[in-house]
Amino acid sequence: MKQRGAWRLHALDERALALGLEPGMPLADARARVPDLVDLPHDPEGETALMRRLADSCERFTPMVAIDPPEGLVLDIEGCAHLFGGEGRLAQEAADFIARRGMRVAHARADTPEAALALARFNKGNERDETRAIRRLPLLALRAEPDVLLALRRAGFTSLGDLAELPAAPLAARFGNRLVDALDRLLGRTDSRIIPRRALPPIFAERRFAEPVARVETIMIVLGELLGTVGETLRERHEGGRRFAVRLFRSDGAVRDLAVETGTPVRDAATVLRLIDERIEALSDPLDPGFGFDMIRLAVPQTEALAAEQAGLIGGRSGTHELAALLDRLGARLGPQRFCRLLSQGSHVPERAMQLIPVAGSDAGLWDQAQPGEPPLRPLTLFDPPERIDVLAAVPDGPPRQFRWRKAVHRIVAQEGPERIAPEWWRRPNGHDSNPGLTRDYYRVEDEAGQRFWLFRHGLYERETAQPAWYVHGLFA
Amino acid sequence: MNGDVPFYAELACTTAYSFLHGASSPAQMVHRAIELGHKGIGIADRNTVSGVVRAKIAIDQLREQGLLPEGFRQVSGARLVFADGTPDIIAYPATRHGWGRLTRLLSRGNLRADKGDCILKLNDLLKHLDELLLVVLPGASLELLQRLNAASPGNVWLGAVMNRAGRDARMLARAQIVAREAGVPVLALNDALYAAPEDRPLQDVMTAIRLNKTVKEAGRDLLANAERHLKPPQEMLRLFAACPDAMLQVRTFFERITFRLEDLRYEYPHEPVPYGWEAQDWLEHLVIEAAHRRYGPVLPDNVQARIDEEFKLIRACNYPHYFLTVHDLVRYARQCDPPILCQGRGSAANSIVCFLLGVTSVDPAKHKLLFTRFLSDNRGEPPDIDVDFEHERREEVIQYMYRRYGRHRAGIAATVIHYRARSAVREVGKALGLSEDVTSRMSSTVWGSYASTYERDRVVESGFDPDSPDIARLNDFVQRILNLPRHLSQHVGGFVLTQGRLDEMVPIHNAAMEDRTFIEWDKDDIDALGLMKVDVLALGMLTCIAKGYELMRQQGLGDHDLETDLASEDPAVYDMLCKGDSIGVFQVESRAQINMLPRLKPRNLYDLVVQVAIVRPGPIEGDMVHPYLRRRCGEEAVDYPSPAWPHDPNELRELLGNTYGVPLFQEQAMKLAITAAGFSNEDANGLRKAMATFRNAGTIHHYQDKMVEGMVGRGYRRDFAERCYHQIEGFGSYGFPESHAQSFARLVYVSAWMKCHHPAVFACAILNSQPMGFYAPAQLVRDAAEHGVEVRGIDVNASGWDNGLERCDDGTLALRLGFRQIGGFSEDWGRAIESARAAGGAFTSIEDLARRAGLPSRALQLLADADACRSLGQDRRQALWEVRRTPTDELPLFAAARARELGDEPAIALKAMTLGEHVAADYQTHRLSLKAHPMKLLRPFFDAERVMPSIDLRTAKNGAQVRVGGVVLVRQRPGKGNAIFITLEDEAAICNILLWARVFERYRRPVMGARLMIVDGELQRSREGVIHVMGSRVTDRTDLLTRLSELHEPKTTLSRADVFLHPADPRHIAAPRMHTHPRNVRLLPNSRDFH
Repeated sequence: MKQRGAWRLHALDERALALGLEPGMPLADARARVPDLVDLPHDPEGETALMRRLADSCERFTPMVAIDPPEGLVLDIEGCAHLFGGEGRLAQEAADFIARRGMRVAHARADTPEAALALARFNKGNERDETRAIRRLPLLALRAEPDVLLALRRAGFTSLGDLAELPAAPLAARFGNRLVDALDRLLGRTDSRIIPRRALPPIFAERRFAEPVARVETIMIVLGELLGTVGETLRERHEGGRRFAVRLFRSDGAVRDLAVETGTPVRDAATVLRLIDERIEALSDPLDPGFGFDMIRLAVPQTEALAAEQAGLIGGRSGTHELAALLDRLGARLGPQRFCRLLSQGSHVPERAMQLIPVAGSDAGLWDQAQPGEPPLRPLTLFDPPERIDVLAAVPDGPPRQFRWRKAVHRIVAQEGPERIAPEWWRRPNGHDSNPGLTRDYYRVEDEAGQRFWLFRHGLYERETAQPAWYVHGLFA
Repeated sequence: MNGDVPFYAELACTTAYSFLHGASSPAQMVHRAIELGHKGIGIADRNTVSGVVRAKIAIDQLREQGLLPEGFRQVSGARLVFADGTPDIIAYPATRHGWGRLTRLLSRGNLRADKGDCILKLNDLLKHLDELLLVVLPGASLELLQRLNAASPGNVWLGAVMNRAGRDARMLARAQIVAREAGVPVLALNDALYAAPEDRPLQDVMTAIRLNKTVKEAGRDLLANAERHLKPPQEMLRLFAACPDAMLQVRTFFERITFRLEDLRYEYPHEPVPYGWEAQDWLEHLVIEAAHRRYGPVLPDNVQARIDEEFKLIRACNYPHYFLTVHDLVRYARQCDPPILCQGRGSAANSIVCFLLGVTSVDPAKHKLLFTRFLSDNRGEPPDIDVDFEHERREEVIQYMYRRYGRHRAGIAATVIHYRARSAVREVGKALGLSEDVTSRMSSTVWGSYASTYERDRVVESGFDPDSPDIARLNDFVQRILNLPRHLSQHVGGFVLTQGRLDEMVPIHNAAMEDRTFIEWDKDDIDALGLMKVDVLALGMLTCIAKGYELMRQQGLGDHDLETDLASEDPAVYDMLCKGDSIGVFQVESRAQINMLPRLKPRNLYDLVVQVAIVRPGPIEGDMVHPYLRRRCGEEAVDYPSPAWPHDPNELRELLGNTYGVPLFQEQAMKLAITAAGFSNEDANGLRKAMATFRNAGTIHHYQDKMVEGMVGRGYRRDFAERCYHQIEGFGSYGFPESHAQSFARLVYVSAWMKCHHPAVFACAILNSQPMGFYAPAQLVRDAAEHGVEVRGIDVNASGWDNGLERCDDGTLALRLGFRQIGGFSEDWGRAIESARAAGGAFTSIEDLARRAGLPSRALQLLADADACRSLGQDRRQALWEVRRTPTDELPLFAAARARELGDEPAIALKAMTLGEHVAADYQTHRLSLKAHPMKLLRPFFDAERVMPSIDLRTAKNGAQVRVGGVVLVRQRPGKGNAIFITLEDEAAICNILLWARVFERYRRPVMGARLMIVDGELQRSREGVIHVMGSRVTDRTDLLTRLSELHEPKTTLSRADVFLHPADPRHIAAPRMHTHPRNVRLLPNSRDFH
């Protein structure tokens, strides 16, 4: 974690803590003490994602789950405990559930979320009585600003119990109402609620069924209706969906997710339905309805602006739409990874200067354009590998005069070059030093028949090799 | 001239001074050009001329060595890179006038930009075209060429390159057409970025660093091939076969240029001479007057002779202006109110003229210092006067220089910042795509540079194979880049002054500091061109002494200045120093010096000169320290190494007489080379230069054989000769001439005198001059207390912003700590308290304080937290509780209205604060505690572990096994890193630990991490009574520090250090901001480490 110009430790495992390292310590200092320290970059996104996954999976205990960053989860189990045989059993089960995922869990139950979190984090004693345990918590549990904490400590207070007895007015006068509020919430003097984390996507529609539905046809019909509903919403917002997510809630509690993406924003129900249909057909494990689904939800997590469209007078749509629609359909059926385009890459070496990239979501890179009025710099066809040829050329670096390729002799009538491309030394272990590989001299040539070739000499005469070989690397149209 | 080799010289050489563009130094370019048979070289860096002098130096060196081909010549210019889309244009001044236009043009661009940038527009060039020859680089439009050629007919060329980019022939043909139409010739270039094709990878790495990418990512931002190197003339001719005239134009272009860097005639400012006086006469007048004031109406013969000799030389070299400028500077500092203390250092102390002008404070006649060390006509180099000023007030002097000579005539020299091992590893590693993890591990190998074998071992230890391709490649690039410049920065204070416009001599830049401008040549360049500079340096001790004198005046302890105590013979002062009691004293306060003092036993000023100079790499590496000490205390006979017959056996007696036959000073080593090794003056001069540039150039080895064999040949013992040589090598890394030591010794004496006779004044002055010196305020305060000074705590009714002095009942002085000791307290608040108290008397309550001094709540909290409200009847805890609700930043009326209500609140009984808590809080707020030493409170714990108090070491037996403990003050690893020194402090004394590297590696973690440490080891006492503990085991007991504040507290308190007790605590995932507040973390100040 980079902070105040230095890399600092963010979190440590038990062994590192045992070695006397502390969070917040500069990495360089830690290294000076423990040279063989193993460190990984702090990954806040990764941590957040992990917490989100945990929170989601805890929805099995209660729908009211909130994350308390960086490492706290709050479950409001009011009204749920009886399902698990009491609060204690529920808490233990939840703790075991998370511990099974390889994590260290500290948990506590209390009347307010703040108190539960504080107990989980700071209660080290075996005090079973909640009220007394809370009173023995350190001031840190207040989660106040560092200077407030310091001032409280300087005033001689060490635990919540010390503060609990004080009249509120002097505290509020010195440390503000926030501290008093925090204290009250911890002590259960005021009620507080969590804000559950699962905020639904802004655009969604759902249908609950009295009787679970199991037939795919029925599901598709329902989906069609739901798509109509969201399409209406999208139209009002002048948006189109790029991603449509279907969540099927099975009556036995399992959840099945399906999603389709489109290359351009869409709100036409038929188009999306066709994509979903193709998606379901292409599933490797079929949609198993079991005893049926009792709820279907359709959400549009990703939208883009899409202006209201006026139907053309002549009818039909523009070509890009057709192509995009085709690619979407083919992609949904065969997998979007299968449709690629050539993308320009940052390398001078021709065969590395391009890469196949899935069409979906990619923008065409910038290709070098030939100067106006000049022939193109690169051929349309590139041989992989280049083909060896015999060439007549002057040493050390004269242009080719004549060459033999696939048993035919080509006399060169026009040529331009060389374009010298040095090897990429960094690809070789010692390439910066003595042996980076061979340099190529490329020539664009035209033979008597008007055919145009891209030839290169492999290696600089005498400097790199005694006898440079020649290759044809491509053909110009 | 050889007819076979065509005339060619590369006119577009980009060197490493085009930072992160060029990959070769100017010298490498010059050497390669000569190797290839070029007839000259044109250095043209991007918007700068900072590299041209380096090329000149390289050429001059080759000429001296007779390796320069006939007729090889350098032309100097710059590649103008425009901000407005104009293609690059290379500009070479044809004449001196043209050079002035070029430097003014660049200055204009520089001053328009922030630091390090140069913003040029085509219009700027059009305004500065006079006598500039221009080469427009490929890609220029016909219109641009026509415009330039119309503005400066006959001075424009179109450059063409044949760099095998595929379309070369087409481009050349097109260039010829455009050029013909514009009426300008085409000129052959290669636009070189490095000397040889092998340098391409380095250039790629630099490009990647510049673009802040890895080499892999940089892709097509890198050049496609390695063609941008210097090429042989024949090959250039072959490449330009289609346009032979382009090659012929190179010669034409070269011959048009008459300007050479040597033409930069330098003229010193005429300012400080009154109307009607000649400079020399005025100088002589000033000096003679001063001499009569000092020596009376009749000057002693030796003084008169010296003055005459110096006048003669100054006249012969025409330097009177230089001396007058320095005199003017010193005069300005002295007439300020209050005066700024200043003192010349370095070789200027050899000059009686400098002494009489008040620049230096050492009488060279008295100390037999030789003027020729400072200035001689055959050295052909300008003198170099460095003057130290009080560090807090130097800026006033600098601004005076700018005011007096004008920004167009005064500028600070540049310092070329070279890559250092750490920055090189980091940047190159990043460019090579090594993870930050690897590079930080490589560069944070804590001590010393990567190149040494020691570091190699550390690399192995960190789990890397130094021979693995990635690491080897990193190392290889790092070695190559290490000697290359990284960027320009301003010199600490070297001023260059001119009579004419400075910006017609050299381009001027804006410095990062406000109100500073600097030129783009550094001190070597300035030397090479024979320019003169005055160093305006800063010295913390001068500030301290000035503040001490001022305090003494206020307390009626006499009126002193640096001159009054010239006698320097007070035995009490030397008694104190002989005991090694020198904390805070200038130059002799380091651990090594404190150890040396009882062994050297200085009894007079000259002993101090030796003392200052002896703990330096020169004498240490020359193994001269012990012989000197033995001879000084009479254990070894003083003999003078003598040569064999027929040489004078006493030839070294005069030279080494003052130092018992042992050479200690740089001057002695130099003269030794002349006298004993038979060096000529030129040889000695070369050796001296090599010594100065030892670190960079490594040329000093040429002189090894010459010196050692010379001395052996004349009959000296070989081991003595080799030691003398090693000593010179040592001087190379940190030269310390006698005259310099003389100047410093004065300050040693003055500061020791003040510490000896007025310890309270000294402590107060040094605390008010922080940061300076070696020790933290806690040690300085403690030292004062040990010298019987009563130290009083910070209090709102007694303290000022600065620390101050108060009279005790018995008439002695007590030190009153000031608000400046409180971390985070602002000077404005401190001054406000002072004036409010002066206006309305003592404060009666916190509310009173807040209202009258207008303090914000933050200030009140800091005061309360620092326990500075005791005179208001409130200790820290009560005050803090009170302060928290004292409203500030309110209109007085409302505040008054509320003040009455404030009283009515339920009373809360706060627990009394324990002593331990107070001490801990004292350390947290002002890094020291007057109430108790933390170790005193923790002593029971240490007693339980059978740790002996450090003070008992003094009576323990030599060789005894001891266990000591204390707060870590300093960890040091000097020199080659064989030993680690640690200083521990407990409640009564300090003790010095010495660890061998082997032991250190074993206890690396506790040594690096502990703030409270226990060491087991063997006590070693030298004959002089210096005590060390040779550590064999180190234990980290930092955890005990938490006991301070927990001492009488219920155990439930969870302080941060609790991580040791509960390592699995989930809280150790650092909650944001929880751990960042330094007050929470650092109970004791970090020790000072010198890596």
